Amino acid sequence: MPSFAPEKPVLTQRIPTFPWADPKARKVVSYDEYARTGGYAGLRKAISMAPEALVEAVKDSQLRGRGGAGFPTGLKWTFLPKYDGGQRYLAVNADESEPGTFKDRLLMDFDPHLVLEGIAIACYACRLQTAYFYIRGEYHHQARVMENAIREAYDKGVFGGNGLLGGAVTAAGEPWKVDCHLHRGAGAYICGEETALLESLEGKRGWPRNKPPFPAIKGLWGKPTIINNVETMAHLPSIVEHGAEWFKKQGVQSTIGGPPSHGTKLMGVSGHVNRPGVYECELGIPLRQLVDEYCGGMRNGKRYKGAIAGGISTGILGPDQFDAEMDFDIGRKYNVLGLGTACPTVFDEDTDMVGVARNIARFFKHESCGQCTPCREGSQWLFKLLTRIEEGDARTKDLDLTLEIATSMGAMPGTTICGLADGNNWAVRTIMNKYWDEFESRVKPTYIPVTMSVGAGVR
Amino acid sequence: MAWIAKPSSTMRVDRRSEPYLTEAMRSELTSKILPRYATKQGALLPALHMVQHEHGWIPAQAMEEIGAFLGLSAAEVLDCASFYEEYWLKPKGRHVVAVCRSIACEFCGHKQITDAVREKLGIEIGETTDDGKWTLIELECLGSCGTAPVALVDETLHENITAEQVRRLIDETRDGSHHH
Repeated sequence: MPSFAPEKPVLTQRIPTFPWADPKARKVVSYDEYARTGGYAGLRKAISMAPEALVEAVKDSQLRGRGGAGFPTGLKWTFLPKYDGGQRYLAVNADESEPGTFKDRLLMDFDPHLVLEGIAIACYACRLQTAYFYIRGEYHHQARVMENAIREAYDKGVFGGNGLLGGAVTAAGEPWKVDCHLHRGAGAYICGEETALLESLEGKRGWPRNKPPFPAIKGLWGKPTIINNVETMAHLPSIVEHGAEWFKKQGVQSTIGGPPSHGTKLMGVSGHVNRPGVYECELGIPLRQLVDEYCGGMRNGKRYKGAIAGGISTGILGPDQFDAEMDFDIGRKYNVLGLGTACPTVFDEDTDMVGVARNIARFFKHESCGQCTPCREGSQWLFKLLTRIEEGDARTKDLDLTLEIATSMGAMPGTTICGLADGNNWAVRTIMNKYWDEFESRVKPTYIPVTMSVGAGVR
Repeated sequence: MAWIAKPSSTMRVDRRSEPYLTEAMRSELTSKILPRYATKQGALLPALHMVQHEHGWIPAQAMEEIGAFLGLSAAEVLDCASFYEEYWLKPKGRHVVAVCRSIACEFCGHKQITDAVREKLGIEIGETTDDGKWTLIELECLGSCGTAPVALVDETLHENITAEQVRRLIDETRDGSHHH
């Protein structure tokens, strides 16, 4: 077994994945197969527990959100006001658009009911009546798989009807009915930002909202709303079934006095490795082991040069950071924004890091929603400057200017409504700082040194 | 760059007598989609998707019809529709090749794919062939970085695609066929 492989796969227990099974054998798991292989046992146990006890269990597990920010899921749930019988919503964030990230897709592609079971559990625990599955527009196939699975779940009495699991009486005293709808986005990265996602669900432009009020207080149509990532949902059935203590046996403690990184994580490795793909490992695996033991090492025997930590917003792990542990300490230990989605894009020694920075700057320029001036204008300037550096037309002072713009446009909180500019800042700044020589060698000097001799000695 | 304003005041509205938002679409929206949302406006994205899926793009008249159906002004519909890159507010080819240009795809050779399409069809990025059959675009991340480079041909994703494969795909796509 490679390092940091859980004894048995958790999220990929029905999705054949290395090292347990051959990915070629993957197929969509139907409701019947899901139920036959222990599926919906977590939900059955969940409704036998009081909703407050479930929230407590998720809090105890210290599960941290898998969408990129790593916010503790149970804590987020406790921000909801006390249930007063009014309408409350769950919005599941399946707008997976962060370049480098393709992990939620695996769950949607093959084991949709694992996600739906998690949705049902979250709705019961948090007293939410309606769930929206917000899926990015380009995921045509995944939208069809999820639609089918939602239909199956309705037919089998999971959703709709008289309540969860065919109207079973719950520990809260009565059945709890949940509706679940799929909502397709339409090609806007920013809709992965939680409040932009809500705007988009309401049929508006995906413009992030000012916070506070936070969505747990005033979210979708002004009602209390929880927004969670797909993979976060997929963790819930096993946490409920096996308990918080079981969950906490996986992963690692912080080595710098921070919160622990518990559980397994889907890590999607892309770039210059032999076997790119999604792997399930315990948090804490060093990037080098992930690449060597899971991905078959670097492609063509080349040397490692750097890796985007987990989606381009997180910034880059430099040439001397191949041993960085993939856990929630990574931001503080290795000068990146954070673990992000834990989907590293790995680059070999032939990669032009100026090109990497330019590609990323173009992405953010393209995806800025335009509300805040620092982001809208700054992202344009960064792209222009980096293009100029790449083409060899820039001067030394342009390097400082680029860093200055990056730093001043992304200084959350304060300058912009959402974190997009901050992602742009971290990406550009860490690449420039960690590969400074490469940038410097591409620019012309600002001042041309001239040697002259003056004075009595001149003849 | 969703924030770039389009001059809609001078936009020509081509009209036809037959509605774009068909009876079948209206009844599906009424029976299935509207009950899912707390407001009628919630059904705006699904309605736009519906029209585009049927007609290939979203003409101004269709936006007016959707607005009237959902109780929104045409301007509100345009405001929303123009934000989202996936909605085509101008006609496109009957088929679209969308090559991913984001980080993993660029550094795993997306340029060869785009170039193969450019040469094969004689068009640049953003252009449509004279016969109206093909449009070539580049998109940001399609969420398939592990199988880079990738391209979306209509609604089908092609992973680990090669220049040879994309050329063959273009040859083999007949009109009337849909990549589903």
